Amino acid sequence: MKHLGLLDAASAQAVGFEWLTAAVAPVSAYGERHFSGLRPFRASEASLARSRAEMVATVAAAVDEARSDAARALVRELPDVSGAIARASIGEILDDVNFFELQRFCDALVRIDALLSGVYADPLAGDEVRALAQALEPGRSAGGGFYLAGALSGELERARGRLDEAQRELEQSSAQAAGRVARVLGRDDIADADEFIVMRAELRDALPACVRVVREAPTYLLCALEYDEVTLAALERRDAAAQEAAAAEEGVRARLSSLVREHAARLEGAARGLGALDVTLAAARFTRRFACVPATISDEPVLSFVRARFLPLAVELEQAGRSFTPLDLELDDVAVLTGPNMGGKSVCLQTCGFVALCAAFGLPVPAERATIGLFDEVAWLGIGSDRELGGLLSSFAKEVLRLREIFNRAAPRLLVLIDEFGRTTTPHEGKALSVALLERLRERGARGMLATHIGGVASQAGARHFAVRGLRGIPDRPPTSDLREALETLAASMDYRIVEVSSDTAARADAIALTALLGMDRSFVEAAYQALSR
Amino acid sequence: MHVGKELLALALRRGARSLCVVGTGKNVGKTVAMRAAYEAACAQGLQVGLASAGLDGEAADQLGGHAKPRIALRTGTLFATAREALPRSPASEIVALSRLQTGAGTLVYARAAGRARYELIGPPTASGLREVLEELAARAEFVIADGAIDRVAALAGGRDAIVVACGAAAATTMRQAVEDVSALVQRLGVARFDSGEPAIFIEGALTPTQIAGFVGAGERRQIVVRDPTQIALRGRAAAKAFETLRIRCERPLHVIAVTTAAISPERGFEPDAFAHAVAAATRLPTFDVYAGRKAA
Repeated sequence: MKHLGLLDAASAQAVGFEWLTAAVAPVSAYGERHFSGLRPFRASEASLARSRAEMVATVAAAVDEARSDAARALVRELPDVSGAIARASIGEILDDVNFFELQRFCDALVRIDALLSGVYADPLAGDEVRALAQALEPGRSAGGGFYLAGALSGELERARGRLDEAQRELEQSSAQAAGRVARVLGRDDIADADEFIVMRAELRDALPACVRVVREAPTYLLCALEYDEVTLAALERRDAAAQEAAAAEEGVRARLSSLVREHAARLEGAARGLGALDVTLAAARFTRRFACVPATISDEPVLSFVRARFLPLAVELEQAGRSFTPLDLELDDVAVLTGPNMGGKSVCLQTCGFVALCAAFGLPVPAERATIGLFDEVAWLGIGSDRELGGLLSSFAKEVLRLREIFNRAAPRLLVLIDEFGRTTTPHEGKALSVALLERLRERGARGMLATHIGGVASQAGARHFAVRGLRGIPDRPPTSDLREALETLAASMDYRIVEVSSDTAARADAIALTALLGMDRSFVEAAYQALSR
Repeated sequence: MHVGKELLALALRRGARSLCVVGTGKNVGKTVAMRAAYEAACAQGLQVGLASAGLDGEAADQLGGHAKPRIALRTGTLFATAREALPRSPASEIVALSRLQTGAGTLVYARAAGRARYELIGPPTASGLREVLEELAARAEFVIADGAIDRVAALAGGRDAIVVACGAAAATTMRQAVEDVSALVQRLGVARFDSGEPAIFIEGALTPTQIAGFVGAGERRQIVVRDPTQIALRGRAAAKAFETLRIRCERPLHVIAVTTAAISPERGFEPDAFAHAVAAATRLPTFDVYAGRKAA
């Protein structure tokens, strides 16, 4: 899955692209090939995005977890037959491992069709796949392996019969010769006539005439049995029979390879279908696991959702035994988001990006319902997005350069998520810059959400104003050094929901109360409150 | 006397379902011992699985270019080797494919469908060897492997039997060869630690530097490594360490016998004297693989 022009690296990181990629990743090489070709749908492809998300949701509903896991397990274990099909296509004769792989491939397609019966109109295993499976069937061994069995060819069966007979003759003849040599050397037997050791110290007489010295060492002789005429004749017959059997084996391989070549296009099609299925099952699993729904894909560049979640954080919270507060939002222009520190402003921006990202890839979105327009580009401007600019510039300079870069982009449908722009300069200049930024975005028809602590930006820019509800009350607790405990107290007191507000004063930051909650000593907190009152 | 039968009997007597042959060096008769045990197991009617921890069965030693014993498999023998090493003829039954990779391609489990000589190529890691042995054990009654010492860690804690092969090819003098095999047997045969006694647990390898420190400090507690292959000591240094310290392990190996190969292309030792010296030093059943004799 490639984000191509939809995201730059910093924006991809901020909105959880890597997390999403891992969450919908397929399990097989077939799926990987299909997955690597996925790209975001463009604004002109709204119907394609919609139909893909609906198809994924349909599969998620139709295929329960057990069937999905069974199908994915089959796909995961499958060897990749693409190379074998390609080699057969150019006239190569395949080897037995290839046939074993192809047999498993055909088996898996048939089993997946049965498992997912009713989900797909066209089965993966078409006539050609079944024809190949039938041709390979005589090679199936009792344990589920593949052997170039005599049942595949009468000629092979006969050639092997002749080889067995010739081998028996040779063994009888050579056993007699070995027995004679063993007796001369005073041994019970010669274990391997092609290679045996005779110690010089044990050699009382000369070696028998039928023993050939392969190599001499100071203390021993490496020997081989020199066959007599009868055994040599048997050896020649055995070798000839072995060659015939080898030729017959190769003949069967050639016939089976030619069948693969004949059906190569359909087999490749089935492999592609398997890849697409793997990707769909992964997306369906994501859909079920996170209760996602297909968004209504709007022709307009809007972002509207009810009870949406930023899944990377939702999962992290779930693992910590906490829960994510779903967010509601309607964004059809530029808007301002205010709220207290640690109130979830950045997470709201990330949720916007994540939901837009899911819709762009034709995936159901993590929300109760949503209407999403497809964007050409989603840009993140905030902490973390300026790292690549190096250490010689100030934070403010990096932010400005990043903004300039975003303004220079030609994307007609642009969604910009701005996290505390101008936070490192004076509040009144930060405000002015934020207002100018929103006005510029509006001029070029972009959608944007600016999270800030600065008051008055929304009214001056004529933008909608959303706010995090914030702390329900300041918990009066003694300072704690246990960060986990502090965060739990904060989470219990914070209302993370987003509401649209008419007043344009900045929401309380509650920064001093949070400072106390995070473990700063009482005298420091008191001093801060006193300074505030002055 | 058939050395293979003796080795197999020793392994079966202790309830092992696999036998792994490791050597003190190259060309010390590992493959000869493995082949002898294989022939004995086949003669006993056992369904055998064969594997190698590295490259085996090739016609010539990869380093020295010396001729090496090849492995003639009987029909029905299960074996693991690299895909590229499978002969095209006679065709083998392809039983399963592994995800393990070797230098010659994917590891394949196959069954010999005709009597032929095979090249066995195994996985390059200890965990890979464990996987191969388990896969073969699931399909065969007895598994025989030719294992590199650094990979037998995979056998630690199991019931697999280990045979140590030593020979004239790996030492310049008989005395050196005996010291080497004695140290290796002592190292591989380190006993399980006693959980009721004080112990120092070593993470990773136990090195000569650590040993020097323990000896200098007069350490009396058990010094415990994960398995015997984590003891990075050789020869006399190892013998000295075992004399002075209580070295133990968490997952022991089971060395059941030693084989000797008194001859090599470069030199030869007096076979009986060598076998007797090895038997005396290791206190294990010792067999001369070429002469087919047990040291008294």
